[in-house]
Amino acid sequence: MEDSTRRVLQRLIRRIPTPQLKTTLEKWSGMTVAQRGSMDYTQTKWALTEKLLSLCEENDWTTKHITELEMIYVIDNPNQGMWHGFQLLDPEDDAHSVELTQFKEQFKSHLGELVRHVSVKIKKHTDEAVWIRIAWGDSFSRPNHLKPTYVVHHLQTPYVFVTGLTSKQKPLLSQALVLSTRHHTIKDANLSGRKLTAIRDLLMKQYQQVFPTNFPSPLAEKNETVSNPKIEREQAGPGAHRHQMACEAFGDGMLPQLQSAVYKLETKFKDHTNRTMTERDEPFKCIVKFESTNLLESLRYCAASGIASTPVTPLLSSIPLKGRNYFVITDNGPGPSSQMHQSQN
Amino acid sequence: MAAKQNASGSAESDQSSLAEQQTSRSFNRSVRVAEKERRKTEAEDPFVPALKYFSDVEAGTPLHGNDEFERNLVLVEKVAYARGLSPEAISIMLEFAMSLRMGTSPCVRILKCLIPATVVPQEAVVRAVVWLGVGKIPISTQILFIKWVLTVFDMIDSKEQLRAVYGFIFSFVTEENLCPFICHLLYLLTRKESVRVFRVRKLLELQSKLGRQPFLLHLLSLYKVFCPELVTLSISSRMRSGFRNHNSPWKSSLIAVQKRNGSLLASSDSLPLTIKDKPNSRKRKYGHLELPVLNSLVNKQAQAESPFSRKLVPLVQLSSFTQLLENIHRIELPAQMGSLLGSSLALQYLDCVQDESALLRLNFWLGYALHEEFLFCGDGRASQNSEEALQFLDKLLSTQHFLQEAFSSSEAFLYKFLSVWDGSLLRPQILSLLSNIPVVPSSQIGRLLFEPLMQLFFTSSLFFKCGLMECLNNMLLKWLTWHSVYALEDDLDISLNSHTSINMTLSGFKDSVMELVHFVGRLASVGLQLEGSHSLLLSFILDFYETVCDTFLKYGLPLVVMPPPGVFYPALFSPDPISVDRLAFIMYRYKVNLTSAKSQEKVTEQAFHISRQTFREFNNYVVIMVNCLWNSKMFHPGMGVQLGEELLLKSNVPQYSTSFDLVHHPAFLSYAVDFHLRCWPGRKDVDLDSIKHSKPWSWYLEYLYSQGYDGLKQFVPAL
Amino acid sequence: MSSLKPFSKLPGLNTANILLVESEEQFQQSLADALVEETSVTVNVRLAKSLPLPLENEESRPRIDLVVFIINLTSELSFQSADASLKYLDPGYFLGKVCFLVTNARNASVPTERLDTVRKLAASLHCPLLFAEDQTPDGVTNATERLLTILKVAAGLVPLATALYLSNLTQCTVPLDIDQPSFD
Repeated sequence: MEDSTRRVLQRLIRRIPTPQLKTTLEKWSGMTVAQRGSMDYTQTKWALTEKLLSLCEENDWTTKHITELEMIYVIDNPNQGMWHGFQLLDPEDDAHSVELTQFKEQFKSHLGELVRHVSVKIKKHTDEAVWIRIAWGDSFSRPNHLKPTYVVHHLQTPYVFVTGLTSKQKPLLSQALVLSTRHHTIKDANLSGRKLTAIRDLLMKQYQQVFPTNFPSPLAEKNETVSNPKIEREQAGPGAHRHQMACEAFGDGMLPQLQSAVYKLETKFKDHTNRTMTERDEPFKCIVKFESTNLLESLRYCAASGIASTPVTPLLSSIPLKGRNYFVITDNGPGPSSQMHQSQN
Repeated sequence: MAAKQNASGSAESDQSSLAEQQTSRSFNRSVRVAEKERRKTEAEDPFVPALKYFSDVEAGTPLHGNDEFERNLVLVEKVAYARGLSPEAISIMLEFAMSLRMGTSPCVRILKCLIPATVVPQEAVVRAVVWLGVGKIPISTQILFIKWVLTVFDMIDSKEQLRAVYGFIFSFVTEENLCPFICHLLYLLTRKESVRVFRVRKLLELQSKLGRQPFLLHLLSLYKVFCPELVTLSISSRMRSGFRNHNSPWKSSLIAVQKRNGSLLASSDSLPLTIKDKPNSRKRKYGHLELPVLNSLVNKQAQAESPFSRKLVPLVQLSSFTQLLENIHRIELPAQMGSLLGSSLALQYLDCVQDESALLRLNFWLGYALHEEFLFCGDGRASQNSEEALQFLDKLLSTQHFLQEAFSSSEAFLYKFLSVWDGSLLRPQILSLLSNIPVVPSSQIGRLLFEPLMQLFFTSSLFFKCGLMECLNNMLLKWLTWHSVYALEDDLDISLNSHTSINMTLSGFKDSVMELVHFVGRLASVGLQLEGSHSLLLSFILDFYETVCDTFLKYGLPLVVMPPPGVFYPALFSPDPISVDRLAFIMYRYKVNLTSAKSQEKVTEQAFHISRQTFREFNNYVVIMVNCLWNSKMFHPGMGVQLGEELLLKSNVPQYSTSFDLVHHPAFLSYAVDFHLRCWPGRKDVDLDSIKHSKPWSWYLEYLYSQGYDGLKQFVPAL
Repeated sequence: MSSLKPFSKLPGLNTANILLVESEEQFQQSLADALVEETSVTVNVRLAKSLPLPLENEESRPRIDLVVFIINLTSELSFQSADASLKYLDPGYFLGKVCFLVTNARNASVPTERLDTVRKLAASLHCPLLFAEDQTPDGVTNATERLLTILKVAAGLVPLATALYLSNLTQCTVPLDIDQPSFD
């Protein structure tokens, strides 16, 4: 027990960059004021780890303390690891009245029924999100605190965000979530990214959106920051139009920072002269991946600057519209036109 | 060793005394004293038995559950991360690890803690390399070892023995996983004599197997530099960044150790002549133009330890010119040639030894550095590193001034850079570099220089035009100086650049100079026309012609080229008296040059021939000047400037023929009025024509001379 | 398909008009801001993404004295757009009233062939090819100065010089072929 606690602590300190270490430790209740004061953050990481390990012994910290510290760090720095969005479906009538304590109890008990060794810690963050840390074990081993799963759920919304979940644990978590939030099913939202805030904003539509209007938009006026009268834009009209279209498709202002979008194309070979190819059962597969530090921003720029044609193709505009960044495109019927299909989980 | 001394209290004094004594004559004694001292400190250190354990432990000792091993290794690691390991400790640990005495598992752990405090003994590295061939070391560990060698390469005290096993090291290139690292190591070790046909063939064979891998290309291009006849492969100059840094496992601890020992190194090994602006920038980092510091990690204890075993003296240990002279036959050049740029001693060495391979290496490094930093920049880098780029180019310039010649790689770079230059980026540096380039053969000069420069000149601002004029003037001056220096050595054939084999005949040289002068003439004529005969530009142009008019007398080049009318007339009619005066001076120098050339033509048989055309041009110019300034026969028929009679009448200028004489010339009008007032103080109305009478005229000329118009003063009596 | 003509309108007094064509619409704005600062002549700047220019502006558009195609070498699209726009210019413009301004020529991600293609294009049209550093303020100022130098001549504001004369001196020449830096 002692040794594993030390290992978890060691691992955690290694993960936290030195500049953040101070703020994180200060929010934590594990240390006395005097101990906090005795920390010298100019030392190397190695020395700091040694120091904390000795404090660990001194204060008799348990794994619980350490996981508490870890949660503080993760909640403050949520934009790490890969986050996946899930959507709860078919709410029961009382789904809207689920409140925190009830949810907490229910979730813990449901999960406890499914897995014998599991350690669950639930914390409510200031922005109304419920943070759940799950350390999984199985029937023979104790919970592994080195590889926890983090779940973020906003009560009364159908969205759940998860990181660090293996496929083995997925059904277990799904079931516990569905039951404790009073829904019937849960499905993959096909949205993932490194920034929790970004995928949350995208799914909950928490960004500035623009709706099509027939009236000259205030956008055009805003754009023409009365520049020099000697400078004239010849194609100002089309430019403003393109900008409007781009904003309609992707939103205005700061956009959620999505890193990638994946399109999986599956198509059948169609040529009557070549029977061997046409009669292949397996479709041809092709994966197109767009990557950027801020994909939506890039796409909006492409459309606004005319690199991508406007109106924006539904292939691209579906990302913010449907809140997903993984698409499977298959042939639809005999025609050559391809259409998007909702993919399965 | 140094690390241990550092830990003990006596370390500092010990060190500095060592450093002093090294130069003194009681050298050996002091070594002995130091040795004793060292032994004493060692005895107190628990680290010593730990090392002893690793040197004595028997092969096949079980590792599992071996507490003694664990304890000793932890001890070594502690010392390594805190202070670095002494050369001996490195030898012992490396030997222990690579011999696999206790199996393969501790190998990685030990390699990772091999942080040298001072130097790495080359014997240890050579032994370890040999183990590579003998032992059954896992490939990943082998890679780690080579990475370690690359990381500490500059700290290896001498590379002679490593070079001796060049062929052995080379044999590892066939190992696919090791190949990139081995290539890097070979790249650092390669000297001219290591380039052999069979090695080139092997590399080419590997290339056909692995594809055009950058590591192979880099090694091959180095081979090509040394032996161009062996490597026929064409290697694109657009090769991207060189070898990657592999120092990650050791980087942070190495820096920490070096920082901790930093004060010590600085005190024991101060080098007044090397630049030390940034500590331990040991690899040219990607995207940075830091000059590598001449490596000062090989410090003097290493020397003191065994003064007779090592024949070579690293350049960095020399601190004065006398020392350089004493050791000139056994100098070890640093691994990174770029560091030579910062050290004047190193440059002196380069200059007097004329070591071809050293220059080749320096050129090679410089060529890549320049190309990578200025021609193939990454995104947004152009703006970032301007300060660094500036310093780098300034250093290069001062080096070129020191050596008094340009590097061929900087020349090649300039030609490329000019073709994409915007005319403002690093302008002072680029123009200075440009003025340093050696004589360009006349067949190439137009394409390489004139075409890009002409486009830049005519589309750029007045200040660029002036700057370029100055640059071309300096270029001409340098060419002429080279000529005057080297032409003395043998009569007609001049070797222009002592280090390169460009030989040029006198006529070839003359052609190039003539091309340059004509080119500047074209630029000047049109430039003056476009800029409305701006006096600043005119001044720079006259600077150039002051050089041109004296080529024969000052530089002994039998060539006289007259300025084109586009320069002559704007100067003559300039509203600025200084320009007119300078024109007079230039014409005077032309006259002196031409007359002395003519008299020499009569004396010596095989003298050169100055074409009649040149004399005719000169005479014509003189006649125009005299007619215009003295004789008031401005628009007389038969002169350069002719205008129709009716047109002149139409202009309503009274006495138009006198309008450019010394009295009425716009440049001198104010002097004439002043003179008039002084000469005839009583007169109410100014009649400038009265100055034209013979007596006042000679007074007037005297008056002008007294105002500092020496050009006119020399020009007039020479007529 | 209407093409822009150099002499279809009368010149303004002490005025020079420049048209900056850039498909990315990035550099042209900063250039325009710097160009109109010129005090010795009135400089009017028209910005366009590509040619042809919209018909509805025909009336208000002054006589264009110089057309500048800004090409970002890192983008193939930028070159293609400029290339496609060329045909909407009256041949009269190619007598010294067109120039190419290339950015990012020193960028590592530029394939050599693209620069060669641009050079060939400029050489075949007898137009000058300028290089500019659009990332730095100094670079923008310098590019502005050079464009003004050409513009003033093209607008007939420099005595004794015409657009054709200047472009004869500055026109781009056949691509250089110094591929290999000689190390010997």
